[in-house]
Amino acid sequence: MSKRFAVLVIILALTVASALVLSYTEFAKPAKELKPIGLFYIENSYFGNLTAKSPEAVTAIVWDYRGLDTIYESAVFFLAIVGGLSIFRLEPPQPAGKEAKGLTRISRTGTKIIALLIISVSASIALHGHLTPGGGFQGGSTLAVAPLLLIPVFSVTRLVSAGITSKRLVIARSAAMTCIGLTALLPVLKGLELTSNLSFYPAEIGGELISGSLFFYNIFEYLAVGSGFTAVFLYLSTFEETYRREIEKEVGT
Amino acid sequence: MSEDVFTWSLILMMLFTNTLLSIYGIVYRRSLTKKLIALTILSDTANLVFILIGFRFIQPAVPPVLTELSLENLEYLKQHAVDPLPQALVLTGIVISMAVNALIAFGIIQAYRITGSTDAKVVVKHFSEGVKGE
Repeated sequence: MSKRFAVLVIILALTVASALVLSYTEFAKPAKELKPIGLFYIENSYFGNLTAKSPEAVTAIVWDYRGLDTIYESAVFFLAIVGGLSIFRLEPPQPAGKEAKGLTRISRTGTKIIALLIISVSASIALHGHLTPGGGFQGGSTLAVAPLLLIPVFSVTRLVSAGITSKRLVIARSAAMTCIGLTALLPVLKGLELTSNLSFYPAEIGGELISGSLFFYNIFEYLAVGSGFTAVFLYLSTFEETYRREIEKEVGT
Repeated sequence: MSEDVFTWSLILMMLFTNTLLSIYGIVYRRSLTKKLIALTILSDTANLVFILIGFRFIQPAVPPVLTELSLENLEYLKQHAVDPLPQALVLTGIVISMAVNALIAFGIIQAYRITGSTDAKVVVKHFSEGVKGE
Protein backbone atom coordinates (compact mmCIF):
# COMPACT_ATOMS: atom_id res chain seq x y z
CA MET A 1 0.00 0.00 0.00
CA SER A 2 2.80 2.45 0.90
CA LYS A 3 4.55 1.61 -2.38
CA ARG A 4 1.43 2.59 -4.32
CA PHE A 5 1.23 5.84 -2.33
CA ALA A 6 4.90 6.61 -3.11
CA VAL A 7 4.29 6.08 -6.84
CA LEU A 8 1.35 8.48 -6.72
CA VAL A 9 3.44 11.13 -4.91
CA ILE A 10 6.21 10.75 -7.52
CA ILE A 11 3.69 11.15 -10.36
CA LEU A 12 2.23 14.27 -8.72
CA ALA A 13 5.69 15.76 -8.16
CA LEU A 14 6.68 15.05 -11.77
CA THR A 15 3.48 16.71 -13.01
CA VAL A 16 4.03 19.88 -10.96
CA ALA A 17 7.72 20.01 -11.93
CA SER A 18 6.94 19.67 -15.63
CA ALA A 19 4.26 22.37 -15.28
CA LEU A 20 6.92 24.67 -13.76
CA VAL A 21 9.30 23.94 -16.65
CA LEU A 22 6.51 24.49 -19.16
CA SER A 23 5.56 27.84 -17.64
CA TYR A 24 9.23 29.02 -17.58
CA THR A 25 9.58 28.30 -21.29
CA GLU A 26 6.21 30.06 -21.81
CA PHE A 27 5.37 27.39 -24.35
CA ALA A 28 1.65 27.35 -23.57
CA LYS A 29 0.03 30.72 -23.08
CA PRO A 30 -3.57 30.94 -21.88
CA ALA A 31 -6.00 32.14 -24.54
CA LYS A 32 -7.56 35.54 -23.81
CA GLU A 33 -9.10 36.29 -27.19
CA LEU A 34 -12.10 34.65 -28.81
CA LYS A 35 -11.35 32.67 -31.96
CA PRO A 36 -12.94 34.10 -35.14
CA ILE A 37 -15.32 31.15 -35.58
CA GLY A 38 -16.52 31.45 -31.97
CA LEU A 39 -17.07 35.17 -32.50
CA PHE A 40 -19.12 34.38 -35.62
CA TYR A 41 -21.46 32.09 -33.67
CA ILE A 42 -21.90 34.56 -30.81
CA GLU A 43 -22.63 37.43 -33.21
CA ASN A 44 -25.05 35.45 -35.36
CA SER A 45 -26.94 33.23 -32.95
CA TYR A 46 -29.62 35.87 -32.29
CA PHE A 47 -28.67 39.05 -34.17
CA GLY A 48 -27.00 39.14 -37.58
CA ASN A 49 -27.83 37.84 -41.04
CA LEU A 50 -27.27 34.10 -40.51
CA THR A 51 -29.36 34.03 -37.35
CA ALA A 52 -30.91 31.01 -35.65
CA LYS A 53 -33.03 33.33 -33.42
CA SER A 54 -31.70 31.59 -30.33
CA PRO A 55 -30.09 33.55 -27.47
CA GLU A 56 -28.22 30.35 -26.57
CA ALA A 57 -25.26 30.00 -28.92
CA VAL A 58 -24.52 26.36 -27.99
CA THR A 59 -28.03 25.11 -28.83
CA ALA A 60 -27.95 27.14 -32.04
CA ILE A 61 -24.75 25.32 -33.07
CA VAL A 62 -25.96 21.90 -31.94
CA TRP A 63 -29.31 21.92 -33.76
CA ASP A 64 -28.94 24.57 -36.46
CA TYR A 65 -25.44 25.38 -37.72
CA ARG A 66 -24.25 21.79 -37.26
CA GLY A 67 -27.67 20.16 -37.09
CA LEU A 68 -26.86 17.29 -39.42
CA ASP A 69 -23.95 16.21 -37.16
CA THR A 70 -26.27 16.07 -34.18
CA ILE A 71 -28.91 14.05 -36.02
CA TYR A 72 -26.34 11.40 -36.95
CA GLU A 73 -25.04 11.50 -33.39
CA SER A 74 -28.58 10.80 -32.13
CA ALA A 75 -28.62 7.85 -34.51
CA VAL A 76 -25.36 6.56 -32.97
CA PHE A 77 -26.88 6.93 -29.52
CA PHE A 78 -30.03 5.13 -30.61
CA LEU A 79 -28.06 2.24 -32.14
CA ALA A 80 -25.85 1.90 -29.05
CA ILE A 81 -28.89 1.57 -26.80
CA VAL A 82 -30.60 -0.85 -29.18
CA GLY A 83 -27.37 -2.88 -29.27
CA GLY A 84 -27.22 -2.94 -25.47
CA LEU A 85 -30.82 -4.08 -25.21
CA SER A 86 -30.27 -6.83 -27.79
CA ILE A 87 -27.35 -8.19 -25.71
CA PHE A 88 -29.79 -8.45 -22.77
CA ARG A 89 -32.49 -10.03 -24.90
CA LEU A 90 -35.42 -11.69 -23.16
CA GLU A 91 -38.04 -13.95 -24.68
CA PRO A 92 -41.42 -12.21 -24.74
CA PRO A 93 -43.50 -12.46 -22.60
CA GLN A 94 -41.25 -11.73 -19.65
CA PRO A 95 -41.75 -14.35 -16.95
CA ALA A 96 -43.42 -12.80 -13.91
CA GLY A 97 -40.88 -12.52 -11.13
CA LYS A 98 -41.50 -12.37 -7.42
CA GLU A 99 -44.08 -9.78 -6.38
CA ALA A 100 -42.20 -7.13 -4.43
CA LYS A 101 -43.83 -4.70 -2.04
CA GLY A 102 -41.37 -1.82 -2.14
CA LEU A 103 -40.37 0.39 0.76
CA THR A 104 -42.53 1.98 3.49
CA ARG A 105 -45.44 4.33 2.89
CA ILE A 106 -43.39 7.36 4.01
CA SER A 107 -40.62 6.77 1.47
CA ARG A 108 -43.13 5.97 -1.26
CA THR A 109 -45.05 9.22 -0.72
CA GLY A 110 -41.81 11.22 -0.52
CA THR A 111 -40.54 9.61 -3.71
CA LYS A 112 -43.78 10.42 -5.53
CA ILE A 113 -43.34 14.13 -4.72
CA ILE A 114 -39.63 14.10 -5.65
CA ALA A 115 -40.30 12.22 -8.91
CA LEU A 116 -42.90 14.84 -9.87
CA LEU A 117 -40.37 17.60 -9.12
CA ILE A 118 -37.68 15.85 -11.21
CA ILE A 119 -40.05 15.47 -14.16
CA SER A 120 -41.09 19.14 -14.06
CA VAL A 121 -37.48 20.35 -13.73
CA SER A 122 -36.38 18.13 -16.63
CA ALA A 123 -39.26 19.45 -18.79
CA SER A 124 -38.20 23.01 -17.98
CA ILE A 125 -34.56 22.21 -18.89
CA ALA A 126 -35.63 20.71 -22.22
CA LEU A 127 -38.31 23.23 -23.23
CA HIS A 128 -36.12 26.24 -22.39
CA GLY A 129 -33.16 24.70 -24.21
CA HIS A 130 -33.15 27.47 -26.82
CA LEU A 131 -33.20 30.23 -24.15
CA THR A 132 -31.00 29.02 -21.28
CA PRO A 133 -28.20 26.46 -20.91
CA GLY A 134 -29.75 23.03 -21.33
CA GLY A 135 -31.61 21.18 -24.05
CA GLY A 136 -32.90 17.82 -25.13
CA PHE A 137 -29.99 15.66 -23.96
CA GLN A 138 -29.68 17.28 -20.56
CA GLY A 139 -33.44 17.32 -19.97
CA GLY A 140 -33.78 13.69 -21.07
CA SER A 141 -30.96 12.53 -18.79
CA THR A 142 -32.64 14.37 -15.90
CA LEU A 143 -36.00 12.78 -16.78
CA ALA A 144 -34.45 9.30 -16.59
CA VAL A 145 -33.45 9.94 -12.96
CA ALA A 146 -37.15 9.76 -11.93
CA PRO A 147 -37.65 6.07 -12.89
CA LEU A 148 -34.19 5.30 -11.50
CA LEU A 149 -35.50 6.57 -8.16
CA LEU A 150 -38.88 4.85 -8.52
CA ILE A 151 -37.39 1.40 -9.25
CA PRO A 152 -35.81 0.76 -5.82
CA VAL A 153 -38.64 2.42 -3.88
CA PHE A 154 -41.66 0.86 -5.64
CA SER A 155 -39.85 -2.25 -7.03
CA VAL A 156 -39.52 -3.02 -10.71
CA THR A 157 -42.57 -5.32 -10.84
CA ARG A 158 -44.85 -2.47 -9.71
CA LEU A 159 -43.44 -0.28 -12.48
CA VAL A 160 -43.94 -2.97 -15.12
CA SER A 161 -47.50 -3.72 -13.97
CA ALA A 162 -48.23 0.04 -14.06
CA GLY A 163 -47.56 -0.07 -17.80
CA ILE A 164 -43.96 1.14 -17.99
CA THR A 165 -42.62 -1.82 -19.94
CA SER A 166 -39.35 -1.81 -21.85
CA LYS A 167 -41.20 -2.65 -25.07
CA ARG A 168 -43.33 0.49 -24.84
CA LEU A 169 -40.27 2.58 -23.96
CA VAL A 170 -38.39 1.32 -27.02
CA ILE A 171 -41.45 2.12 -29.16
CA ALA A 172 -41.61 5.64 -27.65
CA ARG A 173 -37.91 6.08 -28.33
CA SER A 174 -38.26 4.99 -31.96
CA ALA A 175 -41.26 7.29 -32.44
CA ALA A 176 -39.33 10.25 -31.04
CA MET A 177 -36.35 9.46 -33.31
CA THR A 178 -38.72 9.31 -36.30
CA CYS A 179 -40.10 12.73 -35.32
CA ILE A 180 -36.53 14.13 -35.23
CA GLY A 181 -35.98 12.76 -38.74
CA LEU A 182 -39.28 14.24 -39.95
CA THR A 183 -38.42 17.65 -38.47
CA ALA A 184 -35.20 17.54 -40.47
CA LEU A 185 -36.93 16.27 -43.64
CA LEU A 186 -40.02 18.52 -43.77
CA PRO A 187 -38.25 21.55 -45.34
CA VAL A 188 -37.11 19.31 -48.24
CA LEU A 189 -40.74 18.90 -49.36
CA LYS A 190 -40.90 22.68 -49.88
CA GLY A 191 -37.69 22.63 -51.93
CA LEU A 192 -35.41 23.88 -49.12
CA GLU A 193 -32.22 22.26 -47.82
CA LEU A 194 -32.20 19.44 -45.29
CA THR A 195 -32.34 20.66 -41.64
CA SER A 196 -33.36 24.18 -42.75
CA ASN A 197 -34.41 26.21 -39.75
CA LEU A 198 -35.89 29.69 -40.01
CA SER A 199 -36.61 29.57 -43.75
CA PHE A 200 -39.26 26.94 -42.97
CA TYR A 201 -40.15 27.07 -39.26
CA PRO A 202 -41.50 30.23 -37.58
CA ALA A 203 -39.23 31.97 -35.06
CA GLU A 204 -42.15 32.87 -32.77
CA ILE A 205 -45.55 31.35 -32.02
CA GLY A 206 -48.06 33.63 -30.33
CA GLY A 207 -45.34 36.06 -29.26
CA GLU A 208 -43.25 33.32 -27.61
CA LEU A 209 -39.76 32.80 -28.98
CA ILE A 210 -39.32 29.17 -30.07
CA SER A 211 -36.27 29.63 -32.38
CA GLY A 212 -37.77 27.66 -35.27
CA SER A 213 -36.92 23.99 -35.33
CA LEU A 214 -34.69 24.11 -32.21
CA PHE A 215 -37.74 23.84 -29.96
CA PHE A 216 -39.09 20.74 -31.77
CA TYR A 217 -35.69 19.04 -31.88
CA ASN A 218 -35.32 19.65 -28.13
CA ILE A 219 -38.75 18.17 -27.32
CA PHE A 220 -38.22 15.03 -29.40
CA GLU A 221 -34.65 14.52 -28.21
CA TYR A 222 -35.92 14.94 -24.62
CA LEU A 223 -38.45 12.14 -25.11
CA ALA A 224 -35.97 9.93 -26.99
CA VAL A 225 -33.17 10.21 -24.42
CA GLY A 226 -35.53 9.94 -21.45
CA SER A 227 -37.29 6.80 -22.69
CA GLY A 228 -34.02 5.25 -23.90
CA PHE A 229 -32.34 5.59 -20.53
CA THR A 230 -35.46 4.41 -18.71
CA ALA A 231 -35.43 1.25 -20.86
CA VAL A 232 -31.76 0.71 -19.97
CA PHE A 233 -32.51 1.08 -16.25
CA LEU A 234 -35.46 -1.32 -16.50
CA TYR A 235 -33.30 -3.94 -18.20
CA LEU A 236 -30.53 -3.49 -15.62
CA SER A 237 -32.93 -3.90 -12.69
CA THR A 238 -34.79 -6.96 -13.96
CA PHE A 239 -34.26 -9.97 -11.67
CA GLU A 240 -30.93 -11.69 -12.19
CA GLU A 241 -32.62 -15.14 -12.15
CA THR A 242 -34.61 -14.21 -15.26
CA TYR A 243 -31.44 -13.63 -17.21
CA ARG A 244 -29.76 -16.74 -15.79
CA ARG A 245 -32.71 -18.84 -16.93
CA GLU A 246 -32.57 -17.27 -20.37
CA ILE A 247 -28.83 -17.94 -20.72
CA GLU A 248 -29.19 -21.54 -19.53
CA LYS A 249 -31.89 -22.06 -22.15
CA GLU A 250 -29.58 -20.85 -24.92
CA VAL A 251 -26.11 -21.99 -23.87
CA GLY A 252 -26.95 -24.94 -21.63
CA THR A 253 -25.49 -25.32 -18.16
CA MET B 1 6.48 33.93 -15.61
CA SER B 2 3.06 34.99 -14.41
CA GLU B 3 0.53 33.14 -12.31
CA ASP B 4 -1.78 32.78 -15.31
CA VAL B 5 0.82 30.92 -17.34
CA PHE B 6 1.68 28.64 -14.42
CA THR B 7 -1.99 27.78 -13.75
CA TRP B 8 -2.51 27.09 -17.44
CA SER B 9 0.60 24.86 -17.66
CA LEU B 10 -0.40 23.03 -14.48
CA ILE B 11 -3.87 22.25 -15.89
CA LEU B 12 -2.34 21.05 -19.15
CA MET B 13 0.18 18.78 -17.40
CA MET B 14 -2.49 17.42 -15.04
CA LEU B 15 -4.62 16.51 -18.06
CA PHE B 16 -1.59 14.88 -19.70
CA THR B 17 -0.90 12.81 -16.55
CA ASN B 18 -4.58 11.89 -16.39
CA THR B 19 -4.43 10.65 -19.98
CA LEU B 20 -1.33 8.53 -19.26
CA LEU B 21 -2.88 7.04 -16.10
CA SER B 22 -6.12 6.16 -17.88
CA ILE B 23 -4.23 4.54 -20.78
CA TYR B 24 -2.25 2.55 -18.17
CA GLY B 25 -5.56 1.49 -16.65
CA ILE B 26 -7.00 0.40 -19.99
CA VAL B 27 -3.90 -1.59 -20.98
CA TYR B 28 -2.63 -3.15 -17.73
CA ARG B 29 -5.71 -3.71 -15.54
CA ARG B 30 -7.11 -7.21 -15.99
CA SER B 31 -10.60 -6.48 -14.68
CA LEU B 32 -12.96 -5.43 -17.46
CA THR B 33 -14.85 -3.13 -15.07
CA LYS B 34 -11.65 -1.27 -14.22
CA LYS B 35 -10.85 -1.00 -17.92
CA LEU B 36 -14.28 0.62 -18.43
CA ILE B 37 -13.68 3.06 -15.54
CA ALA B 38 -10.30 4.02 -17.05
CA LEU B 39 -12.00 4.49 -20.43
CA THR B 40 -14.54 6.92 -18.93
CA ILE B 41 -11.68 8.86 -17.30
CA LEU B 42 -9.93 9.04 -20.70
CA SER B 43 -13.03 10.31 -22.49
CA ASP B 44 -13.73 12.88 -19.76
CA THR B 45 -10.13 14.11 -19.99
CA ALA B 46 -10.44 14.47 -23.75
CA ASN B 47 -13.67 16.45 -23.29
CA LEU B 48 -11.97 18.70 -20.74
CA VAL B 49 -9.16 19.40 -23.21
CA PHE B 50 -11.80 20.52 -25.72
CA ILE B 51 -13.47 22.80 -23.17
CA LEU B 52 -10.06 24.21 -22.27
CA ILE B 53 -9.38 25.09 -25.92
CA GLY B 54 -12.51 27.25 -25.92
CA PHE B 55 -11.91 28.81 -22.51
CA ARG B 56 -10.71 32.40 -22.12
CA PHE B 57 -8.42 33.22 -19.24
CA ILE B 58 -10.12 36.49 -18.29
CA GLN B 59 -12.25 37.85 -15.45
CA PRO B 60 -15.20 37.38 -15.70
CA ALA B 61 -15.57 34.61 -18.31
CA VAL B 62 -19.29 34.10 -18.95
CA PRO B 63 -21.23 31.38 -20.82
CA PRO B 64 -22.23 32.27 -24.41
CA VAL B 65 -25.89 32.95 -23.61
CA LEU B 66 -27.67 36.26 -24.22
CA THR B 67 -29.37 36.99 -20.90
CA GLU B 68 -31.26 39.93 -22.40
CA LEU B 69 -31.93 40.56 -26.06
CA SER B 70 -30.03 43.83 -26.53
CA LEU B 71 -27.03 44.90 -28.62
CA GLU B 72 -25.20 46.12 -25.47
CA ASN B 73 -25.41 42.62 -24.06
CA LEU B 74 -24.02 41.26 -27.35
CA GLU B 75 -21.04 43.62 -27.03
CA TYR B 76 -20.49 42.42 -23.45
CA LEU B 77 -20.61 38.80 -24.65
CA LYS B 78 -18.01 39.52 -27.34
CA GLN B 79 -15.69 40.81 -24.61
CA HIS B 80 -16.33 38.13 -21.99
CA ALA B 81 -18.02 35.03 -23.43
CA VAL B 82 -16.16 31.73 -23.90
CA ASP B 83 -16.10 29.96 -27.27
CA PRO B 84 -19.42 28.12 -27.86
CA LEU B 85 -18.14 25.75 -30.56
CA PRO B 86 -16.04 23.38 -28.34
CA GLN B 87 -18.96 23.24 -25.90
CA ALA B 88 -21.32 22.09 -28.66
CA LEU B 89 -18.80 19.46 -29.82
CA VAL B 90 -18.27 18.22 -26.27
CA LEU B 91 -22.03 17.96 -25.74
CA THR B 92 -22.12 15.61 -28.72
CA GLY B 93 -19.03 13.76 -27.49
CA ILE B 94 -20.44 13.24 -23.98
CA VAL B 95 -23.65 11.72 -25.31
CA ILE B 96 -21.81 9.35 -27.65
CA SER B 97 -19.33 8.27 -24.97
CA MET B 98 -22.22 7.70 -22.56
CA ALA B 99 -24.00 5.48 -25.09
CA VAL B 100 -20.84 3.53 -25.90
CA ASN B 101 -20.09 3.10 -22.18
CA ALA B 102 -23.60 1.77 -21.61
CA LEU B 103 -23.11 -0.71 -24.48
CA ILE B 104 -19.75 -1.86 -23.04
CA ALA B 105 -21.27 -2.16 -19.56
CA PHE B 106 -24.07 -4.35 -20.95
CA GLY B 107 -21.45 -6.54 -22.63
CA ILE B 108 -19.38 -6.85 -19.44
CA ILE B 109 -22.43 -7.80 -17.34
CA GLN B 110 -23.47 -10.43 -19.87
CA ALA B 111 -19.91 -11.82 -20.05
CA TYR B 112 -19.92 -12.04 -16.24
CA ARG B 113 -23.20 -13.98 -16.29
CA ILE B 114 -21.86 -16.46 -18.81
CA THR B 115 -18.28 -16.90 -17.58
CA GLY B 116 -18.64 -15.97 -13.89
CA SER B 117 -15.71 -13.56 -14.05
CA THR B 118 -14.81 -10.06 -15.27
CA ASP B 119 -11.14 -10.93 -15.64
CA ALA B 120 -10.21 -10.20 -19.26
CA LYS B 121 -8.01 -13.33 -19.61
CA VAL B 122 -10.65 -15.67 -18.14
CA VAL B 123 -13.38 -14.20 -20.35
CA VAL B 124 -11.28 -14.45 -23.52
CA LYS B 125 -10.20 -18.01 -22.66
CA HIS B 126 -13.80 -19.07 -22.02
CA PHE B 127 -15.08 -17.70 -25.30
CA SER B 128 -12.13 -18.93 -27.41
CA GLU B 129 -12.58 -22.46 -26.01
CA GLY B 130 -16.24 -22.29 -26.95
CA VAL B 131 -15.26 -21.39 -30.53
CA LYS B 132 -12.72 -24.25 -30.74
CA GLY B 133 -15.20 -26.76 -29.32
CA GLU B 134 -17.68 -26.10 -32.12
